[in-house]
Amino acid sequence: MGVEMTMWLSGKRARVLGDAPAIVSALTAQGAQLVTDGAVDILVHVALPAVVKPAHEISHAEWRATLDAGLDQRFHEAKALAEAARARGEGGAVIFVGAPEQALGSDHAAAAGALGNLTKTLGVEWARDGIRVNTVLTRSDGTALGNLVAYLASDYAAYVTGAVMGVDCDDQ
Amino acid sequence: MTNPLRQIVAEPPPFATPPYGPNVFAGQTVLVTGGGSGMGLAMAKAFAQGGAKVAVMGRSIERAQEGAAQIAALGAKVHAMSCDVRAADAVAAAFDEAEKVLGPISLLANNAGANFPVLAENISVNAWNAVTRIAIDGTFLCSTELARRLIARGQGGAIVNNSAQYIWTGFPGDAHSAAAKTAQATMTKKMAADWAAHGIRVNAVAAGFFPHASSTNGDAAEVIAPLQAMIPAGRTGRIHEFGWLSAMLCTPLMNGVTGQVIVQDGGESLRRSLMNPDFIAPRDREGGPWGWK
Repeated sequence: MGVEMTMWLSGKRARVLGDAPAIVSALTAQGAQLVTDGAVDILVHVALPAVVKPAHEISHAEWRATLDAGLDQRFHEAKALAEAARARGEGGAVIFVGAPEQALGSDHAAAAGALGNLTKTLGVEWARDGIRVNTVLTRSDGTALGNLVAYLASDYAAYVTGAVMGVDCDDQ
Repeated sequence: MTNPLRQIVAEPPPFATPPYGPNVFAGQTVLVTGGGSGMGLAMAKAFAQGGAKVAVMGRSIERAQEGAAQIAALGAKVHAMSCDVRAADAVAAAFDEAEKVLGPISLLANNAGANFPVLAENISVNAWNAVTRIAIDGTFLCSTELARRLIARGQGGAIVNNSAQYIWTGFPGDAHSAAAKTAQATMTKKMAADWAAHGIRVNAVAAGFFPHASSTNGDAAEVIAPLQAMIPAGRTGRIHEFGWLSAMLCTPLMNGVTGQVIVQDGGESLRRSLMNPDFIAPRDREGGPWGWK
């Protein structure tokens, strides 16, 4: 590409939950160290899309599974990062990644809407801890998503928190 | 500056270390409206740091030239122009002039705007027209001028619009700008869709408080100090981090990113409490419609 990359994430430890090769390669290309446990500076949580069904055909078990993956687990993981970062006296960054609100079924619509307003809330609650929380809701899984997430994880995005965004026009 | 409530305040890297290399815009020309000072100048400098040639456009040629001198000091080729972005013919002429001097324009930063605290009932027709049409018509005219040229050449490009953090909530005491800045954000999304097939990306930064010398109240330490405490992030924005996000959205790093309005405000627009001090109508506020002078 001929694009010179400034290393955005040198010295940062990143944990990626979920399957997202483009995000993993962008984070590592920018110098982040991927870790699976222990202290982390960056948490990226990627929820797999649920099966799309009309609302009346979604069982309660399926509904609960989508909400668990798309909302509950994300909250618990972010809370754990924040508690650990506060205990260390360090800041951190949380990036939630998933599909746009209306892209899938009503189970996902509920989870993604909840996630957006959770993002805005946690961004403010943890702002003075230096912990930023942002969300990307998108259908894309390519380089653009990876670079956007890497940016949000970096100190270049130090003034971006509580923001919910997509990647391209299809993400509205 | 002291802020007794601050715990950890996240800061961006210093100005000398932009998030992209010095050739990321090599061979490209950017046109920055309102680029002679303030946020537009920050955008222009950020593009210059990536190697772009910079056309600086302003209502006042003197201010555009002052900004251009600062951009040239970064090593960029620069051209200063005067233009009223509300006039289609003037916009077309400015593009002609800039392209003649610097080469084909492929990048555009729509920053031109006016803003001042005023009660809605005190907004004159002239004031309403000025604030809304510089931002709304100006962004439309400059963006479409660029798009027509790019489409005719079969080339892609990128546009970034300077919107504001108050676009989703309203801004009591600032009706003209509240309307204008949301129009910029919503047209961003639609233009991105209109031009996606032509490889022209359109994004916006919904910016929070980035004090600079030409802010309504300037950027002196005693002005900024009380503002730090009211913002969740514990500080006001650094003008260069706004410039960087704006320019970075136009780099190949963000190829594929389009139609987005990214809020960069340190959480300011999200600050909320169940209980608040008594509501005081903008007309009754001691410090003026913004509650602050």
